[in-house]
Amino acid sequence: MSPISRIWNWRITVGALILLVVVGLLAISIGPISISFPRIIKTLLGLHGLSGEQRTLVLDLRLPRVILAALVGAALSCSGAVYQTVFRNPLADPYLLGAASGAGLGATIAITASHGNVYGLLPIFSFVGGILAVLTSFFISGRFFAEPNTLLLSGIAVGSFATAVQTFIQQRHSDALRPVYSWILGELTAASWRVVSWSAFYIVLAIATMVFISKKLDGLMLSDEEAFSLGINPQRLRIIAVVAATLATATAVSASGLIGFVGIVVPHLVRGITRRVTNRSLLTIALAGAAFLVLADLGARTLLSPAELPIGVITAFVGAPFFLFVLRNKRVSSS
Amino acid sequence: MISIKDLTVSYGNRTILHDISMEIVDGSWTCLVGPNGAGKTTLLKALLGTCEYAGSITDNGEEVFKNHNRNVAFVPQNPHVPVGMSVAEYVMLGRSKRDGWGNESLSSRTFIASILQQTQLYGMQDRPVSQLSGGETQRALIARALAQEPSLILLDEPTSALDLHHQISVLNDIEILKNRGVTVVSTMHDITLAAMYAQYIAIIHEGRVTMTGPSDTVIHSAELRNAFDNRINVFTLDSGRPVIVADKAINERETPRTEA
Repeated sequence: MSPISRIWNWRITVGALILLVVVGLLAISIGPISISFPRIIKTLLGLHGLSGEQRTLVLDLRLPRVILAALVGAALSCSGAVYQTVFRNPLADPYLLGAASGAGLGATIAITASHGNVYGLLPIFSFVGGILAVLTSFFISGRFFAEPNTLLLSGIAVGSFATAVQTFIQQRHSDALRPVYSWILGELTAASWRVVSWSAFYIVLAIATMVFISKKLDGLMLSDEEAFSLGINPQRLRIIAVVAATLATATAVSASGLIGFVGIVVPHLVRGITRRVTNRSLLTIALAGAAFLVLADLGARTLLSPAELPIGVITAFVGAPFFLFVLRNKRVSSS
Repeated sequence: MISIKDLTVSYGNRTILHDISMEIVDGSWTCLVGPNGAGKTTLLKALLGTCEYAGSITDNGEEVFKNHNRNVAFVPQNPHVPVGMSVAEYVMLGRSKRDGWGNESLSSRTFIASILQQTQLYGMQDRPVSQLSGGETQRALIARALAQEPSLILLDEPTSALDLHHQISVLNDIEILKNRGVTVVSTMHDITLAAMYAQYIAIIHEGRVTMTGPSDTVIHSAELRNAFDNRINVFTLDSGRPVIVADKAINERETPRTEA
């Protein structure tokens, strides 16, 4: 009889980090003007490796976009994994509690009201819209979290309501249809250091919180009595988890629109490959999600270059078949 | 010593437990018996500390409500089995209180291996809990409770989903715990088994404890037959062990049979 093996092997996390760095360098290097890895690394280290024009290209255009993609990917996949744990539902995704529809409504209001100066108002409006929708879901579900499914249902209802209002506003302002539509499909074209810095603040804070409580989160997959007997306060832990996941989601949505599928596909990929459902994998899920979205954005930029594909199309187009492949393999091997 | 004084539990207007007072001896096995809906599970949850109550429940002088200082294992009747979680992860959760969350030392992992062996789950540690049979799932639950090294273990119908062979093996595992000094409180529908394993039996009927005492006394009491509408018969085997069987004849309620 030998001791059982470790539940989580941290080498996997290191592997995900290396993957993210490689994918990030790749994304900075590829484009209409390609730049070699060594020169990128030199530039990032502050050494002289590039001409002034190339420096601008790397530091002001490609780098913030890669970082924003990484932040958004990490936020969506990490909060997806947390929602799946809290609601004990493998199909839960970050947009579940009305965050997406609320943000969509906020964005639509911003786009119709601003006539041009869209990018000033849009992130703020969609952020506030997303948070308000989730708060409304909380408020309607009444007894804070006595029954996670009630919150889930009220989230769906609030989401439908917000979508209805959004559609109504769109019908009245047909000129807003196109920008709203392209925002819904997700875009990272607005990436600038300003957007990167404020979204980094919230997203890093939220992910750090989720990773900090990640070990305890495993208890929430059990019944509340079992969780209590293992030494956690399930109600309080759920509130912390949902607040952090919602903050990450709302920030990601307001920075980049609605990028679908990341929040479901990445957690399941990591869990499927490692054959572990423990939340100790949260940091790894965040890193893998970051790499996934950086790669997807690279595809969005380059596949139809010089035209750009909406990144949401890439994540679903590539993610869905790959996900089904993993799901199928998992079923075959476990039966 | 756990002492329950004037315990009343209500959900809204509905009172589940009325004014219960009883004591539970350290290191003993107490079994709660009674019809469905009598309040047995609620009493277990109150003892765990997760349900609000009026009156008091103290465990060695400390009030139990939301008290995390104790180490109590809880084995529910219908556990939430996390999708995809492996047996190893599931049982390892039991160490979280002893080791701190997510800490998995070599000694803990060795200890878990020995528990898996004891509960006949060794070799299955990488299988998802959701794919185990009813008996294996129950053993995984018991294994997690063993991993906790608790001072008190609460079990809600630990044998209801099991065949006879597995009922005995689970109950024997619990008895080993009891022999190590752990206090055991369980609910059980099979009163024959309850009498076989538990030192004390408490009868819960319509939210009240109608009788509590040593198993032998309670088994032969009128209160027990009363709790089950006089639809049970108690026989005594040659070995002296009591056997309780259900009685089909409803018309004989007025004249309960005496022991054979």
